[in-house]
Formats: sequence, C-alpha cells, structure tokens
Amino acid sequence: MASAVLTDRRWIARGAERTSTAQFALWLVPWVALLALGIYAAGLCLYYGLNQTNMDNRFAFGLWIFLDLSVIALGAGAFFTGFLVYILGRTELKPILNAAVVLGFICYSGAVAVLMVDVGQPLRGWFTFWHPNTHSMLTEVTFCISCYLLVLTLEYIPVLLRNRQLGKRPSSAVFEYRLHHLVPVLAGVGAFLSFFHQGSLGGLYGVLRGRPFAFREGFSVWPSTFFLFVLSAIAVGPSFLMLVTAAVEKLTGRRQVPSGLLQRLGFLSGVLLAAYVAAKSIDTLIWLNVTSPSVGFAPWEYYAYPPFGSALLFIEILLFGLVPAALLLYPRTAGNRRWLLTGAGLACCGILLNRFVMTVQTLALPTLAFDEFLRYTPSWQEVATFGGLIAYGVIVFSLSYRYLPLFGQEKREATDVSGR
Amino acid sequence: MFPGVDGFHWTFAHIIFLSVFFTVVLTILGTLAAAAVHTAGDLRRGRAVEICWKAEFAQLPEAERHCRHELAGRVAERVCPNAFDCRHCGEYAHYAALPAGGTGIPACVGQAQTLGLNYPDNRFYHRGHTWVAPQDDGTLMVGLDDLAARLVGNPDSLELPPEGAEIQSDGTAWRMKKNGHTVRVRAPIDGAVVETGGPEKGWYLRLRPHGAADLRHLLRGPEVSPWLAREIERLQLQLTPPKAGPALADGGVLVPGLMDAMPDAEWDTVLAGTFLEA
Repeated sequence: MASAVLTDRRWIARGAERTSTAQFALWLVPWVALLALGIYAAGLCLYYGLNQTNMDNRFAFGLWIFLDLSVIALGAGAFFTGFLVYILGRTELKPILNAAVVLGFICYSGAVAVLMVDVGQPLRGWFTFWHPNTHSMLTEVTFCISCYLLVLTLEYIPVLLRNRQLGKRPSSAVFEYRLHHLVPVLAGVGAFLSFFHQGSLGGLYGVLRGRPFAFREGFSVWPSTFFLFVLSAIAVGPSFLMLVTAAVEKLTGRRQVPSGLLQRLGFLSGVLLAAYVAAKSIDTLIWLNVTSPSVGFAPWEYYAYPPFGSALLFIEILLFGLVPAALLLYPRTAGNRRWLLTGAGLACCGILLNRFVMTVQTLALPTLAFDEFLRYTPSWQEVATFGGLIAYGVIVFSLSYRYLPLFGQEKREATDVSGR
Repeated sequence: MFPGVDGFHWTFAHIIFLSVFFTVVLTILGTLAAAAVHTAGDLRRGRAVEICWKAEFAQLPEAERHCRHELAGRVAERVCPNAFDCRHCGEYAHYAALPAGGTGIPACVGQAQTLGLNYPDNRFYHRGHTWVAPQDDGTLMVGLDDLAARLVGNPDSLELPPEGAEIQSDGTAWRMKKNGHTVRVRAPIDGAVVETGGPEKGWYLRLRPHGAADLRHLLRGPEVSPWLAREIERLQLQLTPPKAGPALADGGVLVPGLMDAMPDAEWDTVLAGTFLEA
C-alpha cells in the first residue's frame, strides 16, 4: 500500500512541489461525492425525463441554461488568451496559457455535458447537425460549441502529453511537439468559433420578438445582444483566469505566474469591461426609450415584479460593471492585489447576473394581457446536476494542476538563481 | 446537412452556413492529420531524440538556458535559441570571435581544479554534466563530470547501452539508479558504442563518431568555470532547507556521495536541474 502511495510522485513533474498523495486524496473526497450526486441526478433526468426538473413548456430555460451561459462566458479566457498569444504575439501571457486552456476545456465540456441532459432526449442530439435549422441562433451555437470543444480538446492534448510519464514515450513527445506547433491554427479557429457562439448565445435572446424584455434591434441579422455577449465574455474571461490563478496561489502558497501578469490581465479586462459598460448603457437607453415603447411596453413594467426590481439593472451596470472596470484600470487599485482581485470578482459576478437576468427574468415576466408573472425554483435534481458540474471542474483542474505543467512560472521560481 | 437530406434547402443561408461549418471542421481535422503525419515522418527519419530534446529544452527555466558566450563573458545576456547545439547556430562564429572575460570568476585555464572540482581542460563538457575526451584512435571517451559524480556517488544500479548501439546527442546515454531515483544521463555527442565502462573506471562509454567528431557545442576553456559557478549556486539553493536563513558560503568543497550524505533533500528537483530534465 505504501509503495502504491509513493508511485504518485512519478507522475508529478520534476521540481514541482505538490502536497502528499493522502492530502490530495482527502481534498478530492468531497468533490467526488458531489460529482457522484450530480451524476445520479443527471441519470434520473435522462432515465425518467425532464419531469424530474421544475421546468415546463413556458419556463423552458432554467438553472442549467443559466449555468451553461455563465461557464461559457467565464471560459472565454481560453480563446481570448490563445488569440492574444498566438495571433497578436502577446507572448508575455504564455505562462498562463495552459491554465487558460484547461479552464476553457472544463467550462465547455461541462456545458456540453449539461446540455446533453437539458435537451431531454440526448440520443436525438445528432438531429441538430443532420437537419440544421440555419435560421436558428441555437443551431449556430450547437455547431460552434461542438467544434470549439474539439479545438479545446486538441489544445489540451499537448498539455496532457507533457506529463512526466506520458511524455516519456518518444511517439507521444514528438506528437506533442508537432501538435503544439500547429496550435496557432487552432487558436485562430477557436477565436472565430468563439466569436460566433458567444454572440449567438446573446443573439438568441435578442431575436425573441415575443419577449420584449430581451428583444433588441441590431445590425443586419444580429441584434445588439450578439455583440454585448461577445464583449462581456472577452472582458470577463481574463478576470476569471485571474481569480482561478489567485486561488491556486493562495491554496498552494506559491507564486504561479510572473509578477505583473495578473495586473496585465486586469488591465485588459478593465479596458474591455469599460467598453462593455459603455455599450451596455447605450443599448439599455435605446431599449428603454425606443425599442420597448415601440412594442407597447413601458420600461417600468419590467421592474414591477419582485425580486426583479430596477435596482437589479443598476447593480448589473454600476456595481458589477463600472466599479470593477474602475478598480481594474485605476493604477492605485490595480496595483493592490486585494483591490485587483475584488475588481475581477465583481466583474465575474456581473456576468453571472447578466446571464441570470437574460435567462430567468426574460421568461418570468408576463408579455400578454392574460399572462401572469411566472415563478421557478429548480428541483433538487437540477441543483445536484449544477453541483456535479462544479465538482467536475474542481476535480479536473486539481488533477491537471497536480500532474501537468499549468503555470509557467512555477519551476522558474524554484530554479532561477541568476537573479535576472 | 447535405443535399438530399431532409431539411436541406438550396438557399443562400444554407450554403454559406454549411460551407463555413465544413471549412472549420476540415481545418480542425486537417490540423490533427498534419500533426499525425509529421509525427510519423519524424519517427521514421529517427528525429525523435532531437525533437524530444528541443521540446524539453523549451520547458527548461530560462536561468538554465543561457548561452555559452554569456558564460564566457563575451555577451552581457543571451538565452540560447538552439537547444545548446552551437553546430547549427548562425551567430556562433560572431560571438566566438569576441574576447572572453568580465564574468568575475577565474577561468582556471590550464588547471585541472576549478572551484574545488576536477575539470581537466583537455576535456569538453556538456551542460548535462558529462565530459568528452577525444582519443588518439579517433574514439571519444564519455564520462560523468566531477560535480555529477560527487552528487550521485556510487550508483545502486547502472543501465548502459550495449556495444554497437547508436547514441544520439542529447538523447539518453545511460541510466543510473540511486536511492530510488532514476537518473537519465544525456549523451554529449553522437556515435556508436565501442566499449562500456562504469564509475570504477572513471568513464562510462567509448564512442566511435561517424566521421570527424564536431565538438563545437561542448563547453571548454573559459566557459567551464562560470558555468560551474552557476551550477554550484543552483545546487546550494536547491539543497538549502526552505526555512533556513541566509548564510554565507563557507568556502568548502562538494563532498563525494552527496545523495547519501543528504538523503532528505529534494533530490527530484536537484536531479532535474543537474541532468537537464524538464
């Protein structure tokens, strides 16, 4: 038994300090339990059908779609970082690239897994590919997410093959080397796919003429929400990456990325967030004053149903938009790690609130004279599946951190004796 | 999805959408196929060792990738872009023509002892702590340098290549086991194994190079002492317990059999740094 425990060390990169196998196993236990519960709940939904959830024909989007939209937005750090490093040549972000790829893979694979449960009949999932409705934003989302998950898998493989044992085989090492050299192609494809599916996820709400709360005018076939979703995702992706990196640094007690890299990500996030807040504010003003009145709705009607008061709008734009943008951009706060991470955290809260409002408030509000305000509380199966996805993410990231070179700085810290 | 399949229409939207989708899918699959084809080609042409080393070299910390000309003081700072293979470096001749010096470390040219270690100047040194000594009969003796020999002491077991085996530069020359740790020693030069030795003989391999041996990529002369000084500094830092306070060097020399003398040190890290393992 003792030797079995010791063998774990053979899989950890030389020079990388990691907690003992027993401690690591202990850390995984609650997450594995949560994942098991999630798999059980998802199994019930697949076996008995969507009657296990509290969704119905009128409230067809619930916790899972909110979760999907959120993790896909938070996972945008993967394509955006890849785009910056490989296409724009911002090599200073390289030390965080592997972590971004793994986070993106977790977010997208998790989202696809939950979507498989959410569609109710996953065995007919191929219908969307074989008989695509090219007029539906969801078709574009399905195609792009599937392709991008494939891209992320191919980007994850070279990271995986850098494991101390997996990389020992010459064929694995050579394949890793060759695939790694082609990653710029994948980064370009990933950026293209991400732009369209992030946008189409927003566009899918914007084209809902029957839901004036979400409906927006736009450019050509794309409503304004298409562009707002893209902008918000690339603004928040780097913030989420910062938060995860900071969490790893806190848990391990070691610096994982070069000093200044988090500030750089924060600045990037801040600039994009400021642009998003400006665009979102203009969009909201046009919607409240032009779009909504033109379809017969006064703006205050949307905010007359607690808990969806008008405060929510201000919280989203000001507290979770303008404030984090200022914290990430103002040199004094951006130079302070605590304020920097507070800004990143608020930005991530902003994206969660935006996706929640777009999913849940849109469906809850009445649109016809005889409609009532709808209430929806997720069933335990929905919550457990949600928890299972979180657990899946923590487990995959923990395993990746333990056995793969996720952060470029780690080894450098241990061996850089030249002082340069 | 395709003409003839239910739902397909010869419309602008269908053609554009599906064309873009298939282009993307083909690009992704083409990338994967290109990686697989290149891999097969590399394996067939025996380039695996070279590629593995290049990939590992790229992952080494920057502090371990400094150019030999920086070590010799010919240039203030330069990271090697050629995986320590000066034979294919376009700027080698330019830098080699510059005067050495300015490192602050005595070069010890003409002496066997440098920094308390035995580094005869008639040998050529590889960054993975092996040496090469050309012989009169055209063969090359290969051994473990003094720092590595003092570190490992007497290995518990030794895995030497058979006579006649082809050794590739930067590939595995031999493996040793010591206190449960496996050490992969990188080959300093290409050649066929003529004879094998061991620690008791003071050398490990005798190689016959293919044609005239090109030793340009190996350290020699004024480069050895500064390189060694950095290696000793790295070793001191890696062997210092994490909670130990700052201390001045006492001027002592490396004791033989350091792995036996300090069994609780982080040897995994030390061996990775010493034998160029990423």
